[in-house]
Amino acid sequence: MISRLAPDVTVVTGAAGWLGSALMARLGAQRPDGLVALVHDETDRDAVLTLAPQARVVVGDVSDRSGIDALFAGLTGDVDVIHTAGVIHPRRVADFETVNSIGTANVLAAAARAGARRVVHVSSNSPFGTNPDVTDVFRGDEPYDPYYGYGRSKMHAEGHVADAVERGLDAVIVRPPWFYGPHQPARQTTFFTMIRKGRFPVIGSGRQRRSMVYVDNLVDGVLLAELVPTAPGRAWWIADERPYELNEIVDTVGRALRDEGFDVRPNRTRVPAIVGRVAEFADAAIQRTGRYQQAVHVLGEMDKTIAVDISSATTELGYRPAVALHDGMRASIRWCRDQGILL
Amino acid sequence: MSDVTHTATPWPAANSSAEVVVVGSGAGGAPTAALLAEAGLDVLVIEEGPWVAQGEVVPFSLDQMHRQYRSRGVTVALGKPSIAYTEGRCAGGGSEINSGLYWRPPASLLSRWRDEYDLATLDPDEVERILDEIEVALSVQLVPGAPTAPSEVLRRGAAALGWRHDEVPRWMTYPDGDDASRGRRQSMTETYLPRATQAGARIVTGARVDRITMRAGHANGVDVTTDDDARRHIACRHVVVCAGAIHTPALLQRSGIRRNVGASLAIHPTVKLAARFPETMNVPDDVPVHQVKEFAPLLSFGGSASHPGLVALSLADAWDRFGSRIVDWERMSVYYAAITPQGRGRVRALPGFADPLVTYRLTRRDQALLGRGLARLSLVMLEAGADEVYPSFRGASVVSSRSDVAEQQRQFSATRATVMSVHLCSTVPLGGTRSAQRGTDEWGAVPGVGNVTVNDASLLPDAPGVNPQATVMALAIRNTRHHLATDRFARSDA
Repeated sequence: MISRLAPDVTVVTGAAGWLGSALMARLGAQRPDGLVALVHDETDRDAVLTLAPQARVVVGDVSDRSGIDALFAGLTGDVDVIHTAGVIHPRRVADFETVNSIGTANVLAAAARAGARRVVHVSSNSPFGTNPDVTDVFRGDEPYDPYYGYGRSKMHAEGHVADAVERGLDAVIVRPPWFYGPHQPARQTTFFTMIRKGRFPVIGSGRQRRSMVYVDNLVDGVLLAELVPTAPGRAWWIADERPYELNEIVDTVGRALRDEGFDVRPNRTRVPAIVGRVAEFADAAIQRTGRYQQAVHVLGEMDKTIAVDISSATTELGYRPAVALHDGMRASIRWCRDQGILL
Repeated sequence: MSDVTHTATPWPAANSSAEVVVVGSGAGGAPTAALLAEAGLDVLVIEEGPWVAQGEVVPFSLDQMHRQYRSRGVTVALGKPSIAYTEGRCAGGGSEINSGLYWRPPASLLSRWRDEYDLATLDPDEVERILDEIEVALSVQLVPGAPTAPSEVLRRGAAALGWRHDEVPRWMTYPDGDDASRGRRQSMTETYLPRATQAGARIVTGARVDRITMRAGHANGVDVTTDDDARRHIACRHVVVCAGAIHTPALLQRSGIRRNVGASLAIHPTVKLAARFPETMNVPDDVPVHQVKEFAPLLSFGGSASHPGLVALSLADAWDRFGSRIVDWERMSVYYAAITPQGRGRVRALPGFADPLVTYRLTRRDQALLGRGLARLSLVMLEAGADEVYPSFRGASVVSSRSDVAEQQRQFSATRATVMSVHLCSTVPLGGTRSAQRGTDEWGAVPGVGNVTVNDASLLPDAPGVNPQATVMALAIRNTRHHLATDRFARSDA
């Protein structure tokens, strides 16, 4: 694959988020100047500057057009935009649309006005729902079947990308599934703690499969999507080489914790499949009232298969995931320990 | 066909006894009868339906449904949702009326059956060799010249999505050279049934076998009712039941054979849609030869018969929204998404009724797969250039964009869809002694009744995920050769 050179300016939204932080760490080391980072809160500024001291950090909200305009003000030369800002576990369901859909439309419009070279939009598996069978795998092109509020907002965002491409913008889409790795938020720490205590609820047989992506593999994919010239409007799954069975995930994380010196209890927390169904039902009911309950949502999704096929990213971008589950989880555990996070 | 050896024998010429009675003349019964007759046995084939020669009726027409389908094509497996199915009821059975598309069973399927159903003697290499013979006997070949427009839609749509697709060969000959629309179907009435009569087998049509008569645990004949309501008893030494996956178990049950009979019906449930294109493309009397196999064996997409009546039928579920489009039928064709399900059904003979009660239950996963399959099929249609797609379920809306496909998925529920099946099997499955569902032994013999064998689609251990005709024929030939080699039919008490 022939890559272009890095642009004069790289704009990253959501720079203090999980993916945003991993991306800023990489760009901070690779691009000596022309880094512009959008963060949501003033308190995020220092964290981003620690990862990329050369970055110009702008505080603003993607759902507010004036904040976006400040982000793009005065940029010259080739400009690439990597749009990672989004909300996945909000307080109110309405935030999904405001941030994920309207926010994306705002970023695309500003990028077009600034004459951006390419916009990489970070989407999700959730516009496509769940696989109908444990052996089924989402192909590069699939019908939309959004999974509740988050899925709908990310589907609408992809629609905004398609519209912008129609109007002449060079924008592409990266679709990561469930990710893991350094810079993880607190909810992932809970995941490690549950597995260490043998308390991770495996719903049903545990044979359901999940595609996952190590966050540095995802950074590789995002940067290839930015730099490899392709037709505008393309979308790629970026994930680890293959989907993992839920049982394999739980076993591998347990092994990774043990390899990092933790005392891990065998996971015997089995939950009947009906619990997953009830949770999904409850999640839908709660979301209809405009509220959002993270624990119920995650539990409802846990008995589903969400598996993706990365072959179009491999052939079109030359994407090759370098890290797999065991090594990635060990790195993630070490990162938590280095941050002084108790597992 | 005027040649008398190529039609049925009238009753007066049929003796009231035979060495072997073969019940049914479809893809199982026809090769069975040919091989037995060629081995010198006195064979009587009893077929319930009429003899209709190829070319006498228009393929896929209502006329054909009246004459060659059971109950004029209206048969239903009860459940939530109920599933409509069709069966051939004529000399040659399903081979006379099906799509004529030939699917060689994958070697992986045969070895899976061998392992899962304790079928140590099922040798995939032997079956492969038999399939080679069948391909010659039925003139299996690709369509000459260009495929029809509805077939091209599947090829084009799948290619645009990067999805695997194949042109499926057919058992057809093309007397007019490269005119793909003038094929002659090499069905059983054109191939194995003439072979059987040439070797001396007698074939009677319009005669239904009510029961196998038993004495001291052995069959000694069959009770028959003819079309004019006359009843006869045919004495025989052996009975081979090839009446299809619904009527084979029903006949066995009526004859007192009930163990693992009719309890494991497998089908390929399908859901449909109609699609409208900018140009004229409807082909009323043929089906597409292309299929989308990207998701096989979980999901397969193909084309259905699309004469105007069937186009109207596919619009009927949401007629309030779709009905006005029927005037455009010449720009439309009907397509299906088929699944390999987890669910199983049941066939139960009811005293006093000619037809058995058939029930079938789709699992939650099966229903989800039907919905996702229909959405993926809609995407194939949009990518192939359809301007509108009409999914066949109650409450559906017109689909003309990708966001409409998302709405289609949201609205879909299998209980509101017209679910159909044409491939019925597995009601008296082959099995070794360790197979819990074993209806017959590894060669189709009914355990405990030495002189009754089964030799049709009922034997398939589960749904094969592809059109089963070639598999049915290959197993029928394999079993018959085994029985001949072991002299099963030479012994009067087996």
